[in-house]
Amino acid sequence: MAPVPDIVLALEGVSAGYGDVAVVHDFSAALARGSITTLIGGNGAGKSTLMRAIYGTCRCFAGHIRFDGTAIEAEPPWQRLARGVGLVPQGRCNFPRMSVLENLLMGCYTLPAARRAPAIDRVVGLFPLLAPRLKTTAGNLSGGEQQVLEMAMVLVTEPSLLLLDEPSLGLSPKTQAELFEVVRAIARTGVTILVVEQNVRGALLISDTAIVLDLGRKFLEGPARDVMVDPRIRQAYLGGTIGQQPAA
Amino acid sequence: MTIDPLYLVQLTLNGLVLGLLYALIAVGLSLIFGVLEIINFAHGEFLMLGAYAMTFMLPVVGLLYAPALLAAVLITALGGFLLFELFLSRLGQHDFERSILITIGLSIMLLHGTQYLVSATPRLVDTELGFDGVAIGDIRITWTRLIGGGLALAAFASLYGLLTRTPFGRAMRAIAQNREAALMVGIKPRTVARNAVVLSTALCGLAGAALAPIQLVQPIMGQFLIFKAFALVIIGGLGNLPGAIAAAVALGLFESWIGGFFEIIWQEAAVFLLMILVLLVRPNGLFGRAIVRAG
Repeated sequence: MAPVPDIVLALEGVSAGYGDVAVVHDFSAALARGSITTLIGGNGAGKSTLMRAIYGTCRCFAGHIRFDGTAIEAEPPWQRLARGVGLVPQGRCNFPRMSVLENLLMGCYTLPAARRAPAIDRVVGLFPLLAPRLKTTAGNLSGGEQQVLEMAMVLVTEPSLLLLDEPSLGLSPKTQAELFEVVRAIARTGVTILVVEQNVRGALLISDTAIVLDLGRKFLEGPARDVMVDPRIRQAYLGGTIGQQPAA
Repeated sequence: MTIDPLYLVQLTLNGLVLGLLYALIAVGLSLIFGVLEIINFAHGEFLMLGAYAMTFMLPVVGLLYAPALLAAVLITALGGFLLFELFLSRLGQHDFERSILITIGLSIMLLHGTQYLVSATPRLVDTELGFDGVAIGDIRITWTRLIGGGLALAAFASLYGLLTRTPFGRAMRAIAQNREAALMVGIKPRTVARNAVVLSTALCGLAGAALAPIQLVQPIMGQFLIFKAFALVIIGGLGNLPGAIAAAVALGLFESWIGGFFEIIWQEAAVFLLMILVLLVRPNGLFGRAIVRAG
């Protein structure tokens, strides 16, 4: 008998969206502990909506979101954070007029006072590039540094599930590669990661599993290395030819 | 026109105190704008509430200044709590239009309700301090003005400490700077918004209570001030707290000088003319927009 995988997050028939409009329909998936999963899909496929639904910053109309076996779909974001679900949203998501240290302190908002200093020391150890920048105003950091800061702001709470929405957006290829290494390092510490990436190839290379979303529904799911060679995925997301090439 | 230097110093002192008290109102308005993204047009009525609470508490506590002031601040803060729980908490994130209607409606109801209950007759408020004051040479300033200005300065210092040193205050700045990041770190936006409203109305109550023994207390007093305070918030740079304080002190001085050297009839018009000119020259205010900047 195959060993039962240790499931951290189980989505069961989730429909989610904004106002009265569902963007994600009847989505089911399960994430194993310590794994990295990439969510792939075109613009408007519902990737960010799904991430927000898991963290609780958009509406979940139907289905269940189970974290460590407990249904959390009715809980507000701060309760989910307390359980160990962390989301780093797309785009710049820090406090631009506060220093890096103040931003990390804000990350510790839900932690008791005694745990804050050790938590900050730990993430600064994890991301040494932050150490000389602690007094810098966050808005003056480079895009890559801000992205790392935002991950650090969530990691101070030691989440067991980390949701990363487009972490490499706007970064140089070199910084992107460094970032993927960081994500891999985080996963090695036992954190389960679900990542949405515009750099599909880079994300697939570090992922165990890939899920393809199309128009708000699950289109395909499989081991990352299989999805990477799937002709439909190659054509749509990995720079394969789409129909006729325009004449040069 | 010859200017008597003593008269100028006297006007400047009075204007400084008035400006500091205006600043208490403007800072609260700015804080609510930063955290809730709405303009509280009923803010002036909280000033009136603070002033009337002071007026009615003074006889109860034997004309003692401090306990009456404390009671007035608490009563106004309670009013702010109710304002948030009953009305503002029901607003969504993009309900700016509804927020205008709700707060203007509340302002009108509070104004006319007060007029009905206590009549529109202006009241002169007496405290244990009476009209005593300190005199330095020929320059004289009443204790009530001196204490009012001192309380305002103490309130700004405490507010600065609160916003920069405590999680309670940091959360307010955090929400004003990036709402999504605030959710990311587990801040409860509703609790922080309530704190901001209670804190802002308490500051307004402090201004009203301190103004009561200095100016006439009447139901319309908040109306005179709300549009000025709103203009100050814009001139100081939306959400820029030190900017709002600086603009308010400048306004108090300017108003006092105009009122002292020209016919009083020009005072209000001159003040608004100046503010319009400033905004024509510097559309983002004198000190630039900020997002609840504490320093």
